[in-house]
Amino acid sequence: MAIRGAAVWAFGALAAAVSAASADSFLLRNVDVYPVTSPPLKSASILVLNGKIAEIGAKIPAAKDIRVIDGKGLRAYPGLIDSGTELGLSEISDVRATVDTAELGVFMPQLRALVAVNPESEHFGVVRANGITAAVTFPALGEEHRTEHQIISGQAAVIHTDGWTWEEMEVKRAAALHLVFPALPRGQPRGFAEAKKTYSRQIQELAEFFAEARRYGAARAAGGAGFRPDRKLEALLPALEGKLPVAVTAEREPEIRAAIQFADEQKVRMILLEPRELGKTAAELKARHIPVVLGRTLELPLDEDAPYDSSFTLPAEAWRAGLTIAFGTFDNEFVRDLPYNAAAAAAYGLPYEEALKAMTINPARIWGVADQMGSIEKGKWADLMLVTGDPLETPTQVKALYIKGKAVDLNNRQTRLYEKYLNRP
Amino acid sequence: MGLTRWLAVLTIPAALVAQRRSAPQTVVIRNATIVPVRGPVISKGSVALRDGLIDAVGAEVPVPPGAWVIEGEGLTVYPGLIDAASSWGLPSNLGAGNGGRGGRGASNPPPAHGPEDRPASTSWLRAADEIQPSDPRLERARNAGFTSAAVFPMRGIFCGQGALVNLAGDKAGDMVLAPSVGQFVTMQPAGAGFPASLMGVIAYVRQVYLDAQHYTLLKAAYARDPVGMRRPDYDRALEGVLESKRILLPAHRRVEIDRMLRLAAEVQQPAILYGMHEGYRSTDLLKKSGVAVLVSLNWPERPKDTNPEESDSLRALELRDRAPSTPAELAKAGVPFAFYSDGLDQPRDLQRAVRKAIDAGLSREDAVRALTLAPAQMYGLADRLGSIEKGKIANLVVTRGELFDEKTKVEMVFIDGRRFGAPPEPARPAAGGLVTKEER
Amino acid sequence: MKLLYGALALLLPVCAQTTLIRNATIYTVSHGTFKGSILVRGGKIVEVGEKVLPPPDAQIIDATGQYVIPGIIDCHTHIAVDGNVNETSVSVSSMVNIADVLDPEDPSIYRALAGGVTTANVLHGSANAIGGQTVVVKLRWGKSAREMLFEGATPGIKFALGENPKRRGNPPESDGAPARYPATRMGIEDTIREAFNQAKAYKAEWDDYHAAVERGRPPLPPRKDLKLEALKEVLEGKRYVHVHCYRADEILMILRLADEYGFKVRTLQHALEGYKVAKEIAAHGAGASTFSDWWSYKVEAFDAIPYNAAVMHKKGVLVSLNSDDAELMRHLNTEAAKVMKYGGLTENEALAMVTLNPARQLGIENRVGSIDVGKDADFVIYDQPPLSNFAKVQKVLIDGRTYFDRDQDLITRRAKDLEKQKLLEKEKEGGD
Repeated sequence: MAIRGAAVWAFGALAAAVSAASADSFLLRNVDVYPVTSPPLKSASILVLNGKIAEIGAKIPAAKDIRVIDGKGLRAYPGLIDSGTELGLSEISDVRATVDTAELGVFMPQLRALVAVNPESEHFGVVRANGITAAVTFPALGEEHRTEHQIISGQAAVIHTDGWTWEEMEVKRAAALHLVFPALPRGQPRGFAEAKKTYSRQIQELAEFFAEARRYGAARAAGGAGFRPDRKLEALLPALEGKLPVAVTAEREPEIRAAIQFADEQKVRMILLEPRELGKTAAELKARHIPVVLGRTLELPLDEDAPYDSSFTLPAEAWRAGLTIAFGTFDNEFVRDLPYNAAAAAAYGLPYEEALKAMTINPARIWGVADQMGSIEKGKWADLMLVTGDPLETPTQVKALYIKGKAVDLNNRQTRLYEKYLNRP
Repeated sequence: MGLTRWLAVLTIPAALVAQRRSAPQTVVIRNATIVPVRGPVISKGSVALRDGLIDAVGAEVPVPPGAWVIEGEGLTVYPGLIDAASSWGLPSNLGAGNGGRGGRGASNPPPAHGPEDRPASTSWLRAADEIQPSDPRLERARNAGFTSAAVFPMRGIFCGQGALVNLAGDKAGDMVLAPSVGQFVTMQPAGAGFPASLMGVIAYVRQVYLDAQHYTLLKAAYARDPVGMRRPDYDRALEGVLESKRILLPAHRRVEIDRMLRLAAEVQQPAILYGMHEGYRSTDLLKKSGVAVLVSLNWPERPKDTNPEESDSLRALELRDRAPSTPAELAKAGVPFAFYSDGLDQPRDLQRAVRKAIDAGLSREDAVRALTLAPAQMYGLADRLGSIEKGKIANLVVTRGELFDEKTKVEMVFIDGRRFGAPPEPARPAAGGLVTKEER
Repeated sequence: MKLLYGALALLLPVCAQTTLIRNATIYTVSHGTFKGSILVRGGKIVEVGEKVLPPPDAQIIDATGQYVIPGIIDCHTHIAVDGNVNETSVSVSSMVNIADVLDPEDPSIYRALAGGVTTANVLHGSANAIGGQTVVVKLRWGKSAREMLFEGATPGIKFALGENPKRRGNPPESDGAPARYPATRMGIEDTIREAFNQAKAYKAEWDDYHAAVERGRPPLPPRKDLKLEALKEVLEGKRYVHVHCYRADEILMILRLADEYGFKVRTLQHALEGYKVAKEIAAHGAGASTFSDWWSYKVEAFDAIPYNAAVMHKKGVLVSLNSDDAELMRHLNTEAAKVMKYGGLTENEALAMVTLNPARQLGIENRVGSIDVGKDADFVIYDQPPLSNFAKVQKVLIDGRTYFDRDQDLITRRAKDLEKQKLLEKEKEGGD
């Protein structure tokens, strides 16, 4: 949790005369602005009023009482958005007591990740230090943190990476329903016949669950005498109505295809999470405008025979197929490396601009919060990072971070330990 | 005719059963195709068996009076097939205890804490002492044309000493041709306790041979002059290892072949490698080492119960495609090799497996050799087994059709001159010869 | 696979070949960065400079617009190992040797090569307080296990402290496995002390024996015990000790223990809290080989900071960055860049963390780790500056021979695909 107030500590010499105006209003001057949704502006200014972007321009006059901050020639980018995390829900992955993902139960759409977010998690401080201002946090992401056979794990939330409480951090409490699509096992020399039976049963149960929810919705609308509320089925209704997208985890072509088919049949809005290959499904995804959240670019190839760079080229492949992509790191430990995964994708065929978009405006659009973030545009939150250079290159430093116009302390557990032991006599 | 004789006739079973009545002293198979293996094929010849040995073989063979003549028109005679590494005739739970330094080893030994506990070692166990003549696999093997096998205990790391045995006999002792043909070694981790990894197994093997050397030194010194010297412990596992004149080491992949060849050289043991599915791409290594190998007939196959959408790796596909060509490649490179059953025991499966190697380029002649003279040579019995030559043990297989062809039928086998298998068409009595009892 | 070897063989120059890598930006690591060329003969660097004249028979690798660094050295890996990387049964398993189970056909080798790694320290796992013997290899893809060994590199042994080796002391009930001593950090120290006490006694036995032999009165030799033999070599300085460790207290413990028994810890591996006791590490003379920024996966990794390498470096410790992971291994160049971000080290200091520093830690700096005349011709050629996240490996040479060529790989993969399709069809037809 950041220490609010004037950014003097973190910003140091960059802060100029401090005015008595509110903490989330200021005029930032002398920055190269990279709005993402429009071309960069060299040596420009950004006016922030009450936490929102009020104006961007080459020269913005300073109103009386406005705090003026000298950007000292730094670059201003939108804060980065990680589309696949368990931030706030998992502290030390090895220690079960610190992990709040992977609840029991096969169909659990009523679970809300947001209410279990610990604002004091050390991970927030760490990821803020590298420019991540928002993230989607999921109720059961990685396989290690997923109960076997769980299919619907709950509601993922979009959160800012700073706030006194999860209420303050909330951007969208129910951004999507997380669904892990059943898949036939691979890499096992036996037991397939058995596994196929389990798979068929799971598919059937999934369809039945959705059908039951539909019947429930109809009964509720009809308002008959015997109607009894059911929170689980209730939670599925927004998805059935197309209001709440379903974020589907599916790794390989067969299950991706099955998921698409399912989404078609159920008429739900689908987002594809962490595919490891696309192949022919790319065209199907494109035809239905299904966005794709890609996992870390820096991964081993899926199969022994896959080309060594097959994970590196997947983002470019998705983009070339016309898909809207966003990046997610899918492991709290690696959230701060989000821009470097994007860079690796750019090295292997994804245009640089697209890599940047996949961490900013694309996720904002995909998760339905593009009115609030994802680019430096008038009316959006002032979620900004001020950096010394290209944020996709490692040596670049984040010199300042703003969330909803308030400067965020870039210190964290790690910088404090650093200072302490660097100065050990 | 006396009553007993009539009764004998009535009770003669005509099925595929070993004829336990005493066989006539001389058997002559006449006018058959003879494949001696050593020497040219005799397209129309005869072979005479007497007192369990081959008495004569050639285009013309004298038929002594009283000989039982089998008309060999349409039949082919080969040396009896030899399975170069097998567990036929041995109980399934043999071995795999911890060696301990003294006793036999418990059936559920405590996990070993290190090499000193002699984990998974029953090196003193002799297959020759454990033969069960009633094992049903023996009959199946005979129906497939096998007459002998090098049988080994196969559980554990130092599993025990193998024996070259005939696949029939009234009692175990009858069956043993050579009681100690080598130590069977696997690279299987112990299961519980040390060693739990492949490198642990190799370290263990290395330590055992170091200990064996040291043990020999100590025993010799103690024997020379025990006074004042600490008595060396009796170590049964080391005794077993020291008794073994060669070791058998497992290796399928080229990497494993390389590894095992170096291990054998390091511990200075004559070795035979078994497995050899990547033999086709390892002939350079094998040729250089001069080692003989056993090729498993259990060719790698696509596992049945797997996801059909999933394709195996190129390596796995290549292996399945090329493995059956290993024997042909070994033959071409001049690497001595023999076949072993590796778990197969149905005649059809064995025939098919050899067929696969032939289809992949192995000559039928080399295939036959790999199941006859080659294993005999490897185990040092070539002077008395493995080919149809005068003086050798009368182990034969008689087929209708050429061995390993799909339609070929194994008519009968001879083991130590005794016939097993379906009786042939009623034999015409030789002039002055004894008529078979069936004709009475 | 055979196709891959075949394709590579076509572009392999014979080792005695003279090769010129022309007109690249050369990061020597030892004496600066400049635009120039490198002349290679017999697998060694014979000349490096701004202007190098190639002999007429030289094969030219045109690296105009490209960037060359010394081959990357990964000080901690478990790739290329057959079977379990841990001998989990006992807490002291110094009798086992990773070199016995090297698998030169592990595809991870090729992938690591494609990421610029030319030399790797292959280690036993971290399940045991005293693990197995370790070995340094060059990633000579296509060669045998023996041919991969780094000639003359001092052999090593792996120790492990902290959570991993004590895991089996407190096995979960569901496991069914019996508990294995030790279950605490105290017990780990005890285990190591006990082993070294035995090793000392063993060494004394053998020293006595050799002395008696010298005197011309050879008694019966003692029994050679492979477990104690390896530890004896540690006591005699013939075998490097690589200690997996996390917490500051256990780092201090092992340094003090080593001092007491008279040997040096060669490297502390991971040492995520090394920054807390950098002073003591430097005083002992141990190197530290750590992650750039991994943390939070275990309790003992919770105080890990990405500034770790920089702090230790500033306090005089010889630091390298390693992977301990088949994936991370593929981008150690960009991992190295992290010490510029976290700690403000220079570009050359960063590069040294994955080249010259690990070379020195492994005692092989006379042969690798920098681009200097006389050293092995092990290089990585990139299309962008080597610490850029946008850089792609184009070629990797070991001993002057090209072991990875991206252009070739792009061609070979198509052929490989075709071959696979062919075999799949053949199998399908062959009768299911």
